[in-house]
Amino acid sequence: MTDAPARTEPRPGSHPQGPRPTLAEVAATYPDRRPSRGRAWAAVRRVLRHVALIAFGLVMLYPLLWMLASSFKPTELIFREPGLIPTEWDFGNYTDGWNALLDPFSHYLLNSAVVVLGSVLGNLVSCSMAAYAFARLKFRGRNLWFAIMLMSIMLPIHVIIVPQYILFSSLSWINTFLPLIVPKLLATDAFFVFLMVQFFRGIPKDLDEAARLDGCGHVRIYLRIMLPLSLPALATTAIFTFIWTWNDFFSQLIFLTKPDMYTVPIALRTFVDATSNSSWGPLFAMSIVSLIPVFLVFLFGQKYLVKGIATTGIK
Amino acid sequence: MAVIQEVARTRGAAPERRKGDGRAAALFLAPWFVGLVLVTAFPLVASLYLSFTDYSLLEAPGWVGLENYTAMFSDPRFFQALKVTFTYVLVSVPLQLAAALALAMVLDKGLRGLAFYRSVYYLPSLLGGSVAIAILWRQVFGADGLVNQVLGFFGIEGVGWVSHPDYALGTLMILNVWTFGAPMIIFLAGLRQIPAMYYEAASIDGAGRWRRFRSITVPLLTPIIFFNLVLQLIGAFQSFTQAFIVSGGTGGPVDSTLFYTLYLYEKGFSSYQMGYASAMAWFLLLVVAGMTAVNFLASKFWVFYDD
Amino acid sequence: MRVTATRALRRRGVALVALTAAGALALTACSGDSGAMPSDDDGGGDDGNVEIRFAWWGSDDRHKTTQQIIDLFEEKNPGITVVPDYTDWDGYWDKLATATAGGDTPDVITQEERYLSDYASRGVIGELSGVDTSEIPEDILSTGEVDGKLVGIPTGVNAYAMVADPQIFADAGVEMPDDTTWTWDEYVDIAGTIAKGAGDGVWGAQDYGFNEAGLNVLARQKGEALYDEDGSLGVSKETIAEFFQTSLDLMANGGQPDASRSVEYQNAGPEGSLLGTNAGAMGVWWSNQLGALSDASGHDLELLRLPGESEFERTGMYFKPAMYYSISAKTKHPEESAKFVDFLLNDPEVAKLQLTDRGLPANLKVREAILPELTAADQKVADFMADLEPDIVDNPSVPPNGANEIQDIMIRINTEVLFERMTPDEAADAFLKDVGAAIGG
Repeated sequence: MTDAPARTEPRPGSHPQGPRPTLAEVAATYPDRRPSRGRAWAAVRRVLRHVALIAFGLVMLYPLLWMLASSFKPTELIFREPGLIPTEWDFGNYTDGWNALLDPFSHYLLNSAVVVLGSVLGNLVSCSMAAYAFARLKFRGRNLWFAIMLMSIMLPIHVIIVPQYILFSSLSWINTFLPLIVPKLLATDAFFVFLMVQFFRGIPKDLDEAARLDGCGHVRIYLRIMLPLSLPALATTAIFTFIWTWNDFFSQLIFLTKPDMYTVPIALRTFVDATSNSSWGPLFAMSIVSLIPVFLVFLFGQKYLVKGIATTGIK
Repeated sequence: MAVIQEVARTRGAAPERRKGDGRAAALFLAPWFVGLVLVTAFPLVASLYLSFTDYSLLEAPGWVGLENYTAMFSDPRFFQALKVTFTYVLVSVPLQLAAALALAMVLDKGLRGLAFYRSVYYLPSLLGGSVAIAILWRQVFGADGLVNQVLGFFGIEGVGWVSHPDYALGTLMILNVWTFGAPMIIFLAGLRQIPAMYYEAASIDGAGRWRRFRSITVPLLTPIIFFNLVLQLIGAFQSFTQAFIVSGGTGGPVDSTLFYTLYLYEKGFSSYQMGYASAMAWFLLLVVAGMTAVNFLASKFWVFYDD
Repeated sequence: MRVTATRALRRRGVALVALTAAGALALTACSGDSGAMPSDDDGGGDDGNVEIRFAWWGSDDRHKTTQQIIDLFEEKNPGITVVPDYTDWDGYWDKLATATAGGDTPDVITQEERYLSDYASRGVIGELSGVDTSEIPEDILSTGEVDGKLVGIPTGVNAYAMVADPQIFADAGVEMPDDTTWTWDEYVDIAGTIAKGAGDGVWGAQDYGFNEAGLNVLARQKGEALYDEDGSLGVSKETIAEFFQTSLDLMANGGQPDASRSVEYQNAGPEGSLLGTNAGAMGVWWSNQLGALSDASGHDLELLRLPGESEFERTGMYFKPAMYYSISAKTKHPEESAKFVDFLLNDPEVAKLQLTDRGLPANLKVREAILPELTAADQKVADFMADLEPDIVDNPSVPPNGANEIQDIMIRINTEVLFERMTPDEAADAFLKDVGAAIGG
């Protein structure tokens, strides 16, 4: 492991005196294997890549675009005229949908936000702690507990929900957000524990040992080394917890009984009913509205995802 | 002076500390353990117990021993559900992971507007569980849907893909592949975690792009590939929402999309046979656990960890 | 170090056992118990306020209206609070079953005929008393009796009927049929003619085979019935085969779309149906769906009687209770719950608010009172039902346990027939076998 010195401009073809060059600088002095084809060709390739990505993106997004378009059509026309461009523009779906239920839709957005925020915090803290233990600590039966942990996500929710309901009912937690948030504080999302284990195992152990030599205990190693270096894994956990909790329907349906506790997925479902009038227009409109927070979280959370380990070294 | 003593102490104590981190483990695992016992173990054990009972949900359970299990193995719809689920898993998971990896590589670096593209390709995953998906999928794969309109351009007459017993499952597989956003993000995170130093060193040695991919990216990505593989498989076996929404809860047409958990749900909540459903759940758990164990054993041969 | 580790592990083991034991105790203590809900005010001690929970399904329109009704009740009955509990149709039964398993059954429950027997026979809903049913006709009231006890009172009635689009008939140059005399064969012919005359992409009728109600009507026309009084199957193999054959005939003469499209239309609900998208002239629906269909199609749709009403022994159409109100057998507030049900059924102001959303009101007086307030489509429904009433012979008894599976069985078998993977005869055998298993168990 070399320390990275201050960067200086590389002068191709010459050997700089003074501080040692970085690997990147040296690499840059070597010619590329393939002869470069000129700037015009490179630009064309770039444009082609963008075109391909956009075209593919449009194909991927077609269903969403259709839903967006339909949200601007009056409900009767959605199926009668299923084209991508509305013949009649109607923004009423958004106002109708917002006020269609007993509370304005913002109420349900807020409920979902509370559940989601609690879940994200819970997962970040508890899953990273558990992952540290599985990845870095040696203790008796570690593999067995790991296997048990993985087993916990192999049972479908439908058979677990009834015993869980009985359990939470005996604690009088039904119709609160507790059954949805407390499990996250207790690292029950084995998915994220496993995810972080994989990431932690990718971090070189030398860093741990160096820290231990400096007198750090496990807690310090966890806080000062593992967590900062696992920013992508933490960001992934946060983003996925957000999105999955935001969209989780079944457990929210079962545990929340009073309509003013309802969250977004349940509220959306009440727009359609096979036995009576379905309000497709407002459903699509509110679906779009509920997509926006998730999309924004993702758009801005990305920058944490892509912070990687650009350099290694013992700091 | 104190520093030297400290160093000496830790140095001397090093072998002892490595022997067991039990105390530290107890601390770090405390929340997880409480969660395991309270939230996970109890329902797990309860559902195992219920699998030996006849439980309608509306009345208390009554012991029936192995009856549910024997009934399961002589139920043609049970085998249909297994067949549908296995087909779905074995085809769509590799496809989805391949798409995710490919897009992650393309969207890793070197292009302007990457954040935007990534969000665009991730958007479909947000819709995966939405009740609107049934409508949307019909719009694309229905008898008069987009796919057939495009095919019509080329003079090919398409069938009603989403409502045809032979093709309905295929449309659900496409739905799974369409929602490749989640594994793609994880691959992206994994790509980002590969130290640039390795790439730099390889360039020095004269390795080209493909060689660098083969010798650096892939091996260092194997823990993440493994993770995605294991979890996508586990998740795919339990796939429920898409099939439920697209088929209107029936697993149709004619059980061609009768996913295992869909049938389980039907048995538990519609037929009031929660005991049978619990038996199905435990059978699934055994299958999935077995497959995961195989995965873990095989991983010794192709997954590369730095520790 | 080692000693500490072992001790820690042992402590954990003990903790594991203790917590699981506690959980098991909770399970046994709780099943079958009622009133663990935090919102359930036990006995209304100090402030005299009683809370009852009312569960129903529907879409946002119904939820809003029902909340208004609840507010009205609370105004008239200070001291009783009604806690709403609503979801969509699909989630309703899951939630209800889970809540019951956890001992949290709602006090007043909306029920449906396919589930009524299951809940009654297992003692979840109890016999109703304290509700004034004098204005409800006896033959409608009897549809809520299981084992001789009244366990659910119908909120209103629907009829399974043919909905027709006169405009498409006209476009195709076909006259509207006389619905009191037309036969099943004539129905097939008319559909075929319309399809030919109306051009591409327009058919005569939507496939009717996905709903067992149609089979019930045909069976009753022939003097049989889907379910006997004792809860077993009462329809013959020939009738079932005939029922499916009609669909095949319609596909053969082009009167109805191909199998894939039929499945799609079936899944699309009223808004995406043949009638709703102006892609067809006829379809079989419940009478209270006329409004949704009319809105979707934009045309003035008509209700017709089903074919074959005068073709065989007797008429087959019947009044089906749209839904029922039931009361939990373990409710802590039976009087207040009964009061609320009484209010829902008999108060004319309630009817004025919800009109025919829960079917044409079963209470005849209330029905009269709201007639002037109905929308055009609902007015048609009311007229149709009034016209139909004298010709109805009797109403079917409550379907037996397991009846809610029939819909799925029917959908599955009908799809097999449409895709020609089963002949009508094979379908009839499969139907008898599968349905027999479902209700026999």
